[in-house]
Amino acid sequence: MEVENFIREVLVKSLNEYMMPFPTDKKVCTEWAQDVPRGGGTVIYTGCMYQVTPVSDLFNRALPILSKVKGAEKLYPLSSILKPTNMQKERANRVLRSIASMLKRNGVQFNYLYEDEPYSGTVLLELGYVDEFAQYAKRVKGHLEKHQVRRLITVDPHSYYAFSRYKEFVPFDVEVVNYLELVKDLGTRVKGEYVIHDSCLYSRFLGIRENYRSLLNNAGVKLREDPFVTGPLTSMCCGAPIGPVRRDESQKIASYRAYQLNQLGDKLIVVCPLCYLALSPYFKGEVVDLAELAYNELGTGQRDTS
Amino acid sequence: MSWIYAVERAVRNNVPKVEGILKDHPYLLDLAAKVRDGKTEVLRNLDRYVEETIKAVERSGGRAYLASTSEDAREIVSKIVGSGKTVVLGKSMVAYEAGIRKHLISTGNDVWETDLGEFLIQLADEPPSHIIAPSLHMTKERAEEVMRSVDPELKGASHERIAGVARKFLREKFVKADVGITGANAVAADTGSVVLVENEGNIRMTTILPEVHVAVTGVEKILPNLELAMYEALVQAAFGGLYPPSYVNVSSGPSSTADIEMKRVRPAHGPKEFHLVLLDNGRKEAAKDPVLWQSLLCVRCGRCHLHCPVYRVLGVNWGIPPFTGPMGAMWSAVIYGDRRPAMMCTHSGGCKEVCPMRIDIPRVLEELKARELKR
Ligand code: SF4
Repeated sequence: MEVENFIREVLVKSLNEYMMPFPTDKKVCTEWAQDVPRGGGTVIYTGCMYQVTPVSDLFNRALPILSKVKGAEKLYPLSSILKPTNMQKERANRVLRSIASMLKRNGVQFNYLYEDEPYSGTVLLELGYVDEFAQYAKRVKGHLEKHQVRRLITVDPHSYYAFSRYKEFVPFDVEVVNYLELVKDLGTRVKGEYVIHDSCLYSRFLGIRENYRSLLNNAGVKLREDPFVTGPLTSMCCGAPIGPVRRDESQKIASYRAYQLNQLGDKLIVVCPLCYLALSPYFKGEVVDLAELAYNELGTGQRDTS
Repeated sequence: MSWIYAVERAVRNNVPKVEGILKDHPYLLDLAAKVRDGKTEVLRNLDRYVEETIKAVERSGGRAYLASTSEDAREIVSKIVGSGKTVVLGKSMVAYEAGIRKHLISTGNDVWETDLGEFLIQLADEPPSHIIAPSLHMTKERAEEVMRSVDPELKGASHERIAGVARKFLREKFVKADVGITGANAVAADTGSVVLVENEGNIRMTTILPEVHVAVTGVEKILPNLELAMYEALVQAAFGGLYPPSYVNVSSGPSSTADIEMKRVRPAHGPKEFHLVLLDNGRKEAAKDPVLWQSLLCVRCGRCHLHCPVYRVLGVNWGIPPFTGPMGAMWSAVIYGDRRPAMMCTHSGGCKEVCPMRIDIPRVLEELKARELKR
């Protein structure tokens, strides 16, 4: 229980102080947004997930050690010095800019809260800190009200799921959707065959697994499916959700999942930053987020990976 | 890695089979819904149904007992069996939970598991890794190695040959057995009948050949009536991937005959005595729990296991045997008060999708995590 108690202490403290799971330089969260209007109403919601997930494994590694050190929680604010590398930052920016431009191309208007964007609290729910999640949800609700947010367009499965549970704990009338429900066209042609790893939350809890499949099919992607590996009832988790408390087991699951997916091919599409983080070290080949496929710096409208 | 390969083979064999069965026999989904309703009714009024069941067993000439703990169950069974007997066991996870086999051996009996998987587990002295396929962790090669303690000649044997060695060895035990101990897939409260579904034929022999039949099962296996109890057996078989089952057995008291003047008398050719031991061991308390009660709906089909990433990687190392996999993470809390297995749930959600009883397993495990963290 040491790790669990330590995690609770540092998480709750950080959420209280910064509305983030660990102290974070907000610039890291917001630098992707170049020309998105600031404000409430309909907002794109990143939860800073794509931006800081790359450093979360450092925490997973440090937590069991720190939990044994007396007074280590006091060092927690220092974690703001942990920043993603430039490459990791560029990748997150690429994904988020791509999502924003897909939304715009599909006629969706939105604002962004920039540094006022609060974290959803999803990690609390996943690890089982349900009371703490309920408390935090109340705070986020107040915060969103203050900023007159009416509609959240989420871009990752974990934030989407967390917000979809808010109503159980607090009256919550903000509409919550996901970009994959709004975007009908990837805006580019993608050649080549890919394997897809489903997000468990998108696939089995939020029911949008077909949304991204049809987006990809329409863009010309050929998906290599296997009913035992990528089926709606059989697709396995990447293991990431238990990373903070059971890192070894989490990695074992990730490595087996990557092995399964590799049997189907060497180019993998993911739809979640945690899946990307968990599977990348084990998957032999290229791993891309769906939004990266749509991103086209050169604007040629073609991405040929065949 | 050998576990991962063993379970991978099981998934490829079992998953399409269950899907095919449900497609070919769509009425099974209706039966599953009826069983869920029946079990829900019993769990809401558990004390009343336990009482009704005990009376019904007595009406049919048997004896029924309510055991509060595993220790009580061992004591009751021990008194019935005595010592110096040959005992055959038909697969009962509740008997495993209560430690009955090892206890009866320690009190001087010759005790044999007769289900092939359980027999392998007994020979290897290992814990069961799956609720209906206890030796799931053993590849054929390992099963052969284990079976060599019965037939040292075995080498490069086929599945059939390995099964044949067990058959030969156990036939002799069946004939000699004084007592047969089984579990129960369902118990009918209105008739006191025990319903058992199987494929090997070992349970039929265990319930019929010895002079005494003892069924040891959990109180949550009670259904309001024999109709629903029969449905339960069919649902369990179908969702376990073995449908139609080779055998469904109904035991209502000791054997009987009405061949003289149509007057039903007992015993006839089968057992002279019938005993039903209903085990509580935390179940009654769980039935009152606003979240955990759902776990008692489980019919132990073992389907959730094969759709769970944690089980597929960790196997028997997740949960407290016989309670492994997603159902085991719930049941480890019900029986042993241990909520730690729940902490390992990745919230993948496959279990919930495939559970015939529509148990919201991820939500139960989330609640168990929350309680563990509050400790
Ligand atoms: S929890 Fe559901 S799927 Fe799992 S063994 Fe029980 S009835 Fe079957």
